[in-house]
Amino acid sequence: MKIDRRLLANFDWVLLGLVLLISGIGIVNLYSAGYNLNSGGEPFYIKQIYWVLLGLFVMVVTFSIDYHFIIRNAYVIYVVTLSLLMLVFFYGNITHGSQRWLILYGFSFQPSELMKLSTIIVLVRYFNDNIEKGYHFGNIITLLAIVGVPFFMIARQPDLGTALFLMILFCSMAVFVGVGRKFLIYFSLSGMILAPLCWFLLKDYQRERILTFLNPERDPLGAGYHIIQSIIAIGSGGILGKGFLRGTQTQLRFLPEQQTDFAFSVFAEEWGFGGVCVLMFLFLLLILWGLQITRYSRDLPGALLSFGVTLFVFWGIFINVGMVIGIFPVVGIPLPFFSYGGSSMMVLMIGAGLLMNVSMRRFILQS
Amino acid sequence: MFGKQDHLTNYDPGVFREKIRLIIWLVFLAFFILISRLWYLQVVKGDTLRQRSENNRIRIREIKPLRGLIMDTHGSILVDNQSSFDISVIPEAAKNTGDVIGRLARLCGWDKSSISCGNGSLKSGKPFIPVKIVRNIERDKLAIVETHSMDLPGVVVDVVPIREYIHGEMMAHILGYVGEISASELSGDAYLGYRSDDIVGKYGIEQYLDGYLKGERGGEQTEVDAAGRRLNVLGRTRPVSGNNVLLTIDADLQKICWDAFQEKAGTAIVMNPSTGSVMALINKPSFEPNLFNRGISGEKWKELMANPLCPLQNRAVSGQYPPGSTYKLLVAAAALEEGLITEKTKIFCDGTFRMGDRVFRCWKKDGHGSIDLHRAIVESCDVYFYHLGEMLGVDKLAEYAEKFGFGYTTDIPLPGEKRGLVPTKRWKLKRYGESWQKGETTSLSIGQGFILVTPMQLLRAYCAIANGGILYKPLLIRRIETADKQTVREFPPEIEKYLPVSKKNIDILRYALWGAVNEPHGTGGLLKRAEQDVCGKTGTAQVISMGEDENDEMIPYKFRDHALFVCFAPYKDPVMAVLVVVEHGGHGGSVSGPIARRIVDGYFNLKRNGQKM
Repeated sequence: MKIDRRLLANFDWVLLGLVLLISGIGIVNLYSAGYNLNSGGEPFYIKQIYWVLLGLFVMVVTFSIDYHFIIRNAYVIYVVTLSLLMLVFFYGNITHGSQRWLILYGFSFQPSELMKLSTIIVLVRYFNDNIEKGYHFGNIITLLAIVGVPFFMIARQPDLGTALFLMILFCSMAVFVGVGRKFLIYFSLSGMILAPLCWFLLKDYQRERILTFLNPERDPLGAGYHIIQSIIAIGSGGILGKGFLRGTQTQLRFLPEQQTDFAFSVFAEEWGFGGVCVLMFLFLLLILWGLQITRYSRDLPGALLSFGVTLFVFWGIFINVGMVIGIFPVVGIPLPFFSYGGSSMMVLMIGAGLLMNVSMRRFILQS
Repeated sequence: MFGKQDHLTNYDPGVFREKIRLIIWLVFLAFFILISRLWYLQVVKGDTLRQRSENNRIRIREIKPLRGLIMDTHGSILVDNQSSFDISVIPEAAKNTGDVIGRLARLCGWDKSSISCGNGSLKSGKPFIPVKIVRNIERDKLAIVETHSMDLPGVVVDVVPIREYIHGEMMAHILGYVGEISASELSGDAYLGYRSDDIVGKYGIEQYLDGYLKGERGGEQTEVDAAGRRLNVLGRTRPVSGNNVLLTIDADLQKICWDAFQEKAGTAIVMNPSTGSVMALINKPSFEPNLFNRGISGEKWKELMANPLCPLQNRAVSGQYPPGSTYKLLVAAAALEEGLITEKTKIFCDGTFRMGDRVFRCWKKDGHGSIDLHRAIVESCDVYFYHLGEMLGVDKLAEYAEKFGFGYTTDIPLPGEKRGLVPTKRWKLKRYGESWQKGETTSLSIGQGFILVTPMQLLRAYCAIANGGILYKPLLIRRIETADKQTVREFPPEIEKYLPVSKKNIDILRYALWGAVNEPHGTGGLLKRAEQDVCGKTGTAQVISMGEDENDEMIPYKFRDHALFVCFAPYKDPVMAVLVVVEHGGHGGSVSGPIARRIVDGYFNLKRNGQKM
């Protein structure tokens, strides 16, 4: 595909800068998180550098393709991702009691991460096609089916965090697009019916997590251990932090999952409230920039797409940080661009590519 | 359906712009919530949580001190420390503690349910702190555990000192035993500064001197990672061993007493009359204190508790018996001191004594005829003392009993000491709501009826007669010293009071006691040695009063009389006094006499063989 020269002229340097800055801080942080961890093999921060570089390439590819083309093929993307989820169901790799990974040519990959993006794209397509019709019973069923199928497949893995994330993403988009009161009633009703059902679908450790979230001291050595250690790590950072590589909670490995879900705790311990404010400011800028793109996009699919992706990043930040500071239950949601994780980084880079896609093309559409 | 132009629908994306403004506010709100919480944790609670993170990585490992040794008066060791091997589990390292404990039990052939916390819900309160599951395992089991350590993740073996009671049962009531501190002890004020897994004295000297014996625990401050691996030792405090204790007990004499008693139930005490030092103290039956080290099994404990002979009771201080004829000495002393009689006063004994409608008998049916005080003590004439009792009255007798050290504890450092009972008119009225009967004084004057004394009280009173009138506090502990023999505390003899009896009268009584052993028809004739140096008195403590002619052998064991014998030697400057109580032994001298004889002979043999006493 030939890239329009105007595209390059309108390249969104701010977005790229923010993404690279956050990822860079993330890599430095991973260096510390893995400093005392001799797991053998390549250290995580090196791998993360590879993922970011690969991600940048994927990002370029993504914004090179006109987002209209992508949305036109939304259902294809959706079905392909769903098939990957099916493959996980049958051939997935089991780690820690759940089946989330697909191994392709030596690369392990989480289709559920990709599903987040595919869901956004398919919703954009659906809302775009149906927005003037308004909500009625028929299309609500369709919407629920679109989100419900991956929801249950991911919940079955089981990865309740990601499944709920999908649901939250969907709801916030639906509300944004403008749903009637009727929809909300149907939705809350089905939610109320499904919630107890979900409780039975949950595995013991998931129930444990929910109960422990409600009261972390309930099991200070088991599930509550993670939250308590995370809160100690963050709080002990104080205003200025303990210093790079000096976080005792991190270096002595009291923190669980410090490369992935709890990477933020590592950062907060070593850089303190000051560092946290800088990082949070960068995240806030990223979100506001995304919303800005939505605001100035020239057409409905662009607005919906950029909004969806921005929401995706926003919820990632809000839930992950909320989780490590103890205001949300521990669900395995990584911090966007910051936590270690190949699949997550790829998907986020594609997301960033989509944002740029919309951002750059608004000028083209203008003319 | 989604063609190139389709995107320019009539729907104006500008509608969203209004919504975006709201969304931006919501985003600000969300970030505000996160930042507030972070501010709260890092700025407001920062110091507290930093403290917690410090505690997190610094572990205090306790180093237990060695408990002090207990030695006899010559410094020979009675209680030693041995190495014992305990098994603990680190729950986090074991992952599935239930499985690991199950495997351990299978390897060692233990019953899984008998292992504490064998149900798998093992929690130590702090992560990576080992939890003790089995104490004091055998060496062969230790070898099994060591060789299978790969299959037993999280299982660790600790070497801990354990008490070894070298003389076992023989010293059990003096030394006592130790055990893990109980929850109720921990919550009380007596054990301030103790921790939940401390070993404390539970009985005997171990309990009484716990504060001296326990030593001071040391500690090691180490930095650990979350897996409990030690990274650095930050500081170390050496433990201080407990103080050693020297008792007044002589292990050899103790052994003589133990053997002399054979299989009968009762107690024997040997005391030095000139200091009040307890040289030997045995109780039969006894218990094996080493059993308590391994954590006594419920079954064994029940067996001990259910034994009708009460092996756990320290009869020497908590057994209460009527003193029987041994009490006559006190009655005589009172009558002499009160001027009611002189040594020449004769009373006619025809074998009976009438008090109201009741007739009391002398043990000698036909009576002793006209008899003076000396012979009355020698032959233990009951009628003579019935008369003295009548002259003195119950309250006068009680006054003297108190002065001889009866009715209150001697405060020997042994647990469970009883006060005994000295009856008075007031006591009777208060206790039974009835007034004192004259006949009860009659019983009292030969040491029967309500009166109860402990063996320790009785021997102490006789020691006071032996030494010329000084009532000592019984001494059991001679010295407390540090592990390197620096004296911490000495225990000199302690005079409690003087008997209210003149030297002359004491001599009369001492001579009578000599006569009781060495003169013809003396009741204590069994103690008559070639040297003719023993003074003594027999006693029969009635368990129930019964008719005249009943044969001892016909009476069920538990209703048989207790046999008492108390003596001291030599007559001039006594160096030892012995009390023997044989429970349900039947008639005084014949049962307890031979035992006392063996003890006295044994004592002087030891002395002759060059041991200083």
